[in-house]
Amino acid sequence: MNSRIARLLLRLYPRAWRERYGAEFAALLESGHGGVPTSARTLVRTVSNVIWSALGERVFPTVGGNMEQSRFQSWCVRAPWAMFGLAPFVLLMVAYGVACVILWSGWKMFLPGADTPFVPIDGFAIFYFQAGRLLYFTAPILIGWAVALVAGRQRLKAFWPAVGWVLIALIGGTVQVHTSRPAVPAGAGHVSIGFNLGSSGQAIPDRLLHALAILSLTVLPYLVWRLLNARRTLSA
Amino acid sequence: MRTTRHVVTPENGAGPSHFSDPPLLVLASLANGPKHGHAMIEDIASICGTRLGPGTLYGAIARLEQQGWIEPLAPKDRRQPYRITAQGLRVLRAKLATLRQFTNAGLERLEAR
Repeated sequence: MNSRIARLLLRLYPRAWRERYGAEFAALLESGHGGVPTSARTLVRTVSNVIWSALGERVFPTVGGNMEQSRFQSWCVRAPWAMFGLAPFVLLMVAYGVACVILWSGWKMFLPGADTPFVPIDGFAIFYFQAGRLLYFTAPILIGWAVALVAGRQRLKAFWPAVGWVLIALIGGTVQVHTSRPAVPAGAGHVSIGFNLGSSGQAIPDRLLHALAILSLTVLPYLVWRLLNARRTLSA
Repeated sequence: MRTTRHVVTPENGAGPSHFSDPPLLVLASLANGPKHGHAMIEDIASICGTRLGPGTLYGAIARLEQQGWIEPLAPKDRRQPYRITAQGLRVLRAKLATLRQFTNAGLERLEAR
């Protein structure tokens, strides 16, 4: 079937349905072999079948199930590089940015004039700085778990999620916070993040071990999910 | 479950012998392994001579997926394979057992004539 006719027919379906099944349904319609015959008589029959089905979908729409996540699922299929590569990277950078802001503002509020924010503190300042530290250390793991959750729920191949995990682990393992002394007494210091692969003298640099630890922690839930899923399928 | 109207194209001109319950046919087709839309249509045609229309097929797929009886696998190009779930297998077994009972009873009555 002509792709133009297929697109027109597809438009008869409700938007949620189109977003979930549109691409695969259009592929089925456009293909001239297999289920969709191409002769004029059978083309008319196919078109009427699709029109009737689309009407049924509009009158009694499919609700619930995977239809509610259709837009998200559609993105996962169309742009896995964005969902599993770019999005985790941006999220991680945002998390590190927020952690830096917490460190910088805490330094300014609780330790004015101190050369570094990494000094013994007490009172509310402990909670304030710990919030930033918690975000800094858990962000790669939480984002990795989010990638695992999405990959598991969407039942996607492991390639793009694996790219995301490696990226997250490398960033999480090599990231380093730099602080510099205030230029003027009682002035605000400078906080920035950078990436450091560690000293070359070590057989396995600490940074690489850190990255491997993050990778293991983030991949583990996905592997467990795959294992449980495989067992469930076998037992069925 | 609402079923959409189906297109039945007799393969050998033997219309009345065709069985047509799209959701059940899709479940039966997926019972021996995952398949995408085209493969399901061909498989169903080979099982019972019923060639489902694309709208009918996807009407059934959407509802089976909604009920958790089938699930999508990783897409291949633009084709989306599906597989039957454990729950779907239980439902298929139950439906086929009922059908067998019905078929046996009907055949016994015919033989008794």
